[in-house]
Amino acid sequence: MAQLSNLQQQRLMVEQLRREASLKRLPVSEVVEEIKQFILQHEPEDYLLIGFSSQKNNPFRERASCDIL
Amino acid sequence: MTDGGLKVEQPMESVEALSREAEGLKVKLEEERQKLNDVPLTTVAARLENLQQLNIKPRRVLKGHQGKVLCSDWCNDKRHLVSSSQDGKMIIWDAFTTNKEHAVTMPTTWVMACAYSPTGSMVACGGLDNKVTVYPLSFDEDVTQKKKAVGTHTSYMSCCTFPYSDQQILTGSGDSTCALWDVESGMMLQSFHGHQGDVMALDLAPSETGNTFVSGGCDKMALIWDMRTGQCVQNFEGHESDINTVKFYPSGDAIATGSDDATCRLFDLRADREIAVYTKESIIFGVNSVDFSVSGRLLFAGYNDYTVNVWDTLKCHRLTILYGHENRVSCLKMSPDGTSISTGSWDFTLRIWA
Repeated sequence: MAQLSNLQQQRLMVEQLRREASLKRLPVSEVVEEIKQFILQHEPEDYLLIGFSSQKNNPFRERASCDIL
Repeated sequence: MTDGGLKVEQPMESVEALSREAEGLKVKLEEERQKLNDVPLTTVAARLENLQQLNIKPRRVLKGHQGKVLCSDWCNDKRHLVSSSQDGKMIIWDAFTTNKEHAVTMPTTWVMACAYSPTGSMVACGGLDNKVTVYPLSFDEDVTQKKKAVGTHTSYMSCCTFPYSDQQILTGSGDSTCALWDVESGMMLQSFHGHQGDVMALDLAPSETGNTFVSGGCDKMALIWDMRTGQCVQNFEGHESDINTVKFYPSGDAIATGSDDATCRLFDLRADREIAVYTKESIIFGVNSVDFSVSGRLLFAGYNDYTVNVWDTLKCHRLTILYGHENRVSCLKMSPDGTSISTGSWDFTLRIWA
């Protein structure tokens, strides 16, 4: 990237700040509530969290060994 | 300034005026963010029941590397894994059987990044060679035959990923930039400038939420980028040292970061601020890698003290510690179907926990 003059650098920074200032923000209470809802909705599919009803369903269960008779 | 007969705006821009405006905007932004910090996360989470005991055990150990494992990535088929190491090797494993299906020797040591393409037909890696090289996978011929150098940075490559297709690859580098490359032509499609230090990690937003990604760096900042325009749309500060890892929360509304300051943090994109810090006085070693479980309730973090800590994302307390590695945990990743988590370590092994 070519060296920018001081003025150009300041301009870019101000443009960036203006963009950020115009973002619509939500209060923490609201966003956390939504995160909580997402979690509750997806918990049933979260096997690391709820585990497996039977270890047979765990693709990484200990492998049974077979003996050749 | 007028130009012939054209009417041109005359913004009295001087460095001083812009500087004052910048200061004013920064103060306004800080006030905005503070105003919205109405309730701490833990208060909202207090009403939730405590989680039951987790049943996560080590299930597989993948041995074969002869150097520190630096990076790993799952294939979308949920069973194959690619890992790269300081010894210059990249290995593709069948995680169910622990068999090694391919082993590629790179002409460089410290292969710091590796990634599987979405279709599973290629892998990419790179590191101290400053390049990202793509290897189409094949059982018929030597994988190194068809390799293709796609992009080059002016310093080491620390991270790479395929954004949604096999045709493009996104990289982060010690040269403080990120770049998006076309795999076929090797052309740089977009570059991302903004970090004031090495980029250490990046993660794509879950595809439902659009073309953005997050990067974290040695400048202690996490930046959110628009892939199409190359612009930084949001920035987050708060860490007190290098950020080593970044990960989007599964809904795409937040990001988790891990740092040399021994903390993990959660930043919400819509509140535009930090909303949680995962820390304990007894935890003093840096975090190298983080990932969420499918629902986002669990945050897994790999540390320099050889352990993986599992945090309750909402209640901000530690649920359990996964022991097993005999050196730093350098990378960890949840499998695509959420049934397991893989960890890689400087102890030369990878482990699968489920």
